[in-house]
Amino acid sequence: MKSLVKKELKLATSPLSWFFLLAAFMTLLPGYPILMGCFFVCLGLFQSFQTARESNDVLYTALLPIRKADAVKAKYLQVCIFQLLAFLLMALLTALRMTVLSGSVVYANNALMNANPVFLAFALLLFTLFNVLFLGGFFKTAYNIGKPFVTFIAASLVLIGLAETLHHFPALRFLHSPGGERMGLQWTVFLLALIVYVLVTLFSEKQSERRFEQIDL
Amino acid sequence: MTEPILEVRNLCKRYPGFQLQDVSFTIPRGCIMGFIGRNGAGKTTTLKSILNLVHADSGEVRYFGLELHAHEQEIKQRIGYAGGAVDYYKKKRIRDIVSVTGAFYENWDTVAFRKTMEAFDLDQSKTPAQLSEGMKVKLNLALALSHGAELLILDEPTSGLDPVSRDELLDIFTVLRDRGVSILFSTHITSDLNKCADRITYIRQGKILASDSMEAYLAACREAEIGATLEEIMLHHEKEDFREKLG
Repeated sequence: MKSLVKKELKLATSPLSWFFLLAAFMTLLPGYPILMGCFFVCLGLFQSFQTARESNDVLYTALLPIRKADAVKAKYLQVCIFQLLAFLLMALLTALRMTVLSGSVVYANNALMNANPVFLAFALLLFTLFNVLFLGGFFKTAYNIGKPFVTFIAASLVLIGLAETLHHFPALRFLHSPGGERMGLQWTVFLLALIVYVLVTLFSEKQSERRFEQIDL
Repeated sequence: MTEPILEVRNLCKRYPGFQLQDVSFTIPRGCIMGFIGRNGAGKTTTLKSILNLVHADSGEVRYFGLELHAHEQEIKQRIGYAGGAVDYYKKKRIRDIVSVTGAFYENWDTVAFRKTMEAFDLDQSKTPAQLSEGMKVKLNLALALSHGAELLILDEPTSGLDPVSRDELLDIFTVLRDRGVSILFSTHITSDLNKCADRITYIRQGKILASDSMEAYLAACREAEIGATLEEIMLHHEKEDFREKLG
């Protein structure tokens, strides 16, 4: 598995995937739908799949003396490593906005989503959508990346729209809190999103293993 | 009698508009087998099926006496595949591709790889995109040979090569055979086989028409007045089919 992950990172990853990790810094943008940063991280990952397809990566991998299921696991690990790096960066910047920068004028009266645990929860949900819709969709053919990515774009825009709308309802105003109040509820939302991310990604990976075994390359 | 290096028995695969029907052949150790047929005859589908890249509907494939599905990883440690001039990771340096590939093989021999690269005049600091078609085939061969592959499966390795590169490649096949490596290579170029093949398997419309030693096959065809050379034999069969279609 270690050799396969090394192969993914060294041969099948586009430099653009690393570059797009910088989109995590969008967490600091005031008056901006900061969840778009996660979307751009996923766009960077999409570039790697495009590069891999042009490089006959799937055929190369299938000819190696490995289990096909491990090839799928390595692809999911490659994606999860990038998502984890982006998430850690976003978590760090969120902590910065909630503490050192909490009194900053540019973040006062922010009509759009604040950087808080709920934002991190939505970031995880957006990554979940990528894993289930794009990665899961890719492994139906191990070739077609266009349709799964368009499906992901549509679903992620709906999720971002939802995230930016919900906190405007009076009952859900706690979602918007930049810190201090209702943190218990916010962390509960985060915990639930983390569970969804882990379970759905695992489910999607297992489903992709089964699909990949049946595909004619 | 020694165990064959590859046994294919009754392989069937159905697609809309095309099917492989009961494909069977055997490759003994230290033998070059030419797998010949016109474009679309089923050569690539057969090769992909025996590598488990395509799932056959039925049939059995055994390498070294081991059943493919039950021993796929072990078998892939001992065979090599090169799909002609297919270039993997064309923008990556060959050195990087090799350092990653070698880690998957128990018998990877870095010294042997370096020697093969030198013999083939290949520069590890180049990328596959910078290589000619002939050099790409040689790179794929070098990768396959460096893990001590006992059988090389090559899909149309001579297609698209100039006459000199083709001749060089066929010379390499002969040297490898003399070192005990078996080779199964598909081609639609009959002159490739005249130069180096010990055995021939002829596939036509998804069915094996013949699988025999070159000498025995040519003698049988001469006797049946089908043709004296592989080219004449192939033209005879394929034109017969064409005339039937024209009615």
